[in-house]
Amino acid sequence: MEAPPVTVMPVTGGTINMMEYLLQGSVLDQSLDSLLHRLRGLCDNMEPESFADHELVYLLKGQQGNPFILRARRSLAHPTAPWHLRYLGQPEVGDKSRHALVRNCVDVSASHSLPDFLNEMGFRMDHEFVAKGHIFRKGVLKVVVSKLSRVLVPGNTDNTEPLSLSYLVELSVLAPAGQDTVSEDMRSFAEQLKPLVHLEKIDPKRLM
Amino acid sequence: MSGSPAVRVSIESSCERQVQEVSLDGVETYVPPLSMSQNLAKLAQRIDFGQGSDSDEEDLNGESRESEWSKQNPDEEGPVKFQPCLWPWDSVRNNLRSALTEMCVLHDVLSIVKEKKYMALDPVSQDPTVAKAPQVFQLISKKKSLATAAQVLLKGAEKLSKSVAESQEQRRQRDFNAELLHLRSQWKLRKVGDKILGDLSYRSAGSLFTHHGTFEVIKNTDIDLDKKIPDDYCPLNVQIPSDLEGSAYIKVSIQKQAPDIGDLGTVNLFRRQPKARPGAQAWHSKLEAAQNVLLCKEIFAQLSREAVQIKSHIPHIVVKNQIISQPFPGLQLSISLCHSSVEKKNQRTSPDKTKPDDHLYVLEHNLHQLIREFHKQTLSSSVMPHPASVPFGPKRLRLAGPMAYDKAEISSLQPSDGLLEKIIKQAKHIFLRSRTARTIDCLASRIEDPQIQAHWSNINDVYESSVKVLITSQGYEQICKSIQLQLNIGVEQIRVVHRDGRVITLSHQEQELQDFLLSQMSQHQVHAVQQLAKVMGWHVLSFSNHVGLGAIESIGNASAITVASPNGEYAISVRNGPESGCKVLVQFPRCQAKDLPKSDVLQDGKWSHLRGPYKEVHWSRMEGRNFVYKMELLMAALTPCP
Repeated sequence: MEAPPVTVMPVTGGTINMMEYLLQGSVLDQSLDSLLHRLRGLCDNMEPESFADHELVYLLKGQQGNPFILRARRSLAHPTAPWHLRYLGQPEVGDKSRHALVRNCVDVSASHSLPDFLNEMGFRMDHEFVAKGHIFRKGVLKVVVSKLSRVLVPGNTDNTEPLSLSYLVELSVLAPAGQDTVSEDMRSFAEQLKPLVHLEKIDPKRLM
Repeated sequence: MSGSPAVRVSIESSCERQVQEVSLDGVETYVPPLSMSQNLAKLAQRIDFGQGSDSDEEDLNGESRESEWSKQNPDEEGPVKFQPCLWPWDSVRNNLRSALTEMCVLHDVLSIVKEKKYMALDPVSQDPTVAKAPQVFQLISKKKSLATAAQVLLKGAEKLSKSVAESQEQRRQRDFNAELLHLRSQWKLRKVGDKILGDLSYRSAGSLFTHHGTFEVIKNTDIDLDKKIPDDYCPLNVQIPSDLEGSAYIKVSIQKQAPDIGDLGTVNLFRRQPKARPGAQAWHSKLEAAQNVLLCKEIFAQLSREAVQIKSHIPHIVVKNQIISQPFPGLQLSISLCHSSVEKKNQRTSPDKTKPDDHLYVLEHNLHQLIREFHKQTLSSSVMPHPASVPFGPKRLRLAGPMAYDKAEISSLQPSDGLLEKIIKQAKHIFLRSRTARTIDCLASRIEDPQIQAHWSNINDVYESSVKVLITSQGYEQICKSIQLQLNIGVEQIRVVHRDGRVITLSHQEQELQDFLLSQMSQHQVHAVQQLAKVMGWHVLSFSNHVGLGAIESIGNASAITVASPNGEYAISVRNGPESGCKVLVQFPRCQAKDLPKSDVLQDGKWSHLRGPYKEVHWSRMEGRNFVYKMELLMAALTPCP
């Protein structure tokens, strides 16, 4: 029996061409409450939602220099929820006037056999961490305030140690490619948080 | 004298001045006349100061003194001879003489003092209050100080008046601020530049309607604080978007289908007067009305979008501000947005007053509730993704991949009914329920025996109601209670549960229900006979709910029963049909039948007590107000007293 024909054309359309617009900042532990109050007031009128996630970062080292990174994330608070696999591309080098970091983003939900599957595919886990915090939304804007903790024993998410004394604040929007008005909305929202937290685009390449 | 012309007479004064010289060319030079002072001096020279009042002894001295005096004061006039004709100058002379005397004395004293041998000068202290000059100073200083004080007071008065004006302005501003605070406690406001804008849309409550819903707050400054402030004065005013002015409501009504299309989209826009709450500010009612208009627009937009997109068996018609659909054949449901702005107050003031108001207020209220439910759903926490990095979107679709749902499962996960479908279902149910009630009531009023009772349940669903129908005979409710029906009225069907456990589903046709109830009523009569027989001691010989003999009924089936008296002599046969009515036959014992041929076979007399022929009863002529009563009487009549 012949193998079914596999198309070699790259997949376009659908959720492949989504871009993530990102602004990041941080706030010290003492100021967390005031930030949460402010976000509660600015964002959609919902009960504040808290989350606890465990993220594993997988690397696939190819022959070329740059390894391929995939992020697998599961919810510790909702163990039955599916895993989430995410690919983040390189930040787009656009004009400097764009206010947010733009990168290609592919999101896929996966079942609970994801880590085994990735291991079988050849990915190796690079590092893992636990993120706990709150999530807010305003229309399409998503604000995530999270505390990142290091996992001391691999696989054991109960024994964690916070990485720093501050909370990471991320403002992100997932939009199809080409919608640049989104970054304007993000900037005006970031302006409203100005004295508490400064959200700006942080190029990950400059950190390394 | 009168007739002669006037004569000019010229007068020339004679020249009194002496001619000093005459020049060679004949010009005369006069001696210049003496001036006043010169004249005075000439006259004063004639005064003889030596001839004064005490001039006798001082004559010589006076002369010598005068000569001395003239030496020292060469400016003074020289002595002149006394002339008695100069009498007016006497006082002058005397004064001058006394002045001269004083001056001589002073001169003598000074010359003696100069020698310092016999007289010395001593300073004399002067009384300062006596001096005239300080009084003037006092006056001037008082004037100055008063002027300073007046200036201070004027300045103060000016400041005071300025502050009063400012405080009035402040009060106006404070009133505005207090009102603004009050407004802010109920509506969302934000400051953009120097304008204050507000948001009256439902976006923060979860709406996805794209109307901006922005209103502007403006200060009401055209008020004169000096005049009396009117009662309804409000320091701030709101300006709402022009397309949200006026008031609006959604009218849902069910009518019989119009024979032709007619003029769709021209629903009467009569204005429902908005109830103005006492004590509410003008801006409050204005903003509430605008918000209501916005909500009605959103509801109508959602309904019309669904009407166009969703495929249904009978397509919906969307015309201007009206959506028409057909819930049942022959019936038309119309949903329309009635928006009347303020200017058209007098236009179309309810021209259809004669038409009964078929506006289903319940459905309008339900529409509002449904859209608010929809709003709440977009804000519910089930929308939030876990883990946090998942993009926003329907949770169930996210599960579709990992759980490997197939197409049927995915389509079953989709949100079931839109707003329009829900409202149509509710309208269908309401209509079906009202028609069922009407049918039962019609039957109840038309037919007196047996009686039909309907007990409606208070607790209903929007899609389901229930009613318990009892068919009884008056006076025999305890005995004949075998027909009890539970009707569950759904959206399109009526489900009937019988007491004996049968479940029957009726369609929405009202004829079906009517026929069914009629057949049940006829069955009831027969059942009643059965129960009555038990009570009366009669024996049931045969009973059938659906007899297959006799004429065919068009509605249901006829039922029949045969009961025998306790002593067996008589038997009553009843056949009751919904259409054919009831037929009662009584079976007599043979001995009572007159026209039976005597036979030689029967030897014993006891055989004549067997029942024999039947005789029909003229049921309509029987006494008794209902069937069961008549039956009871018949049974009683056929039971002989012991």
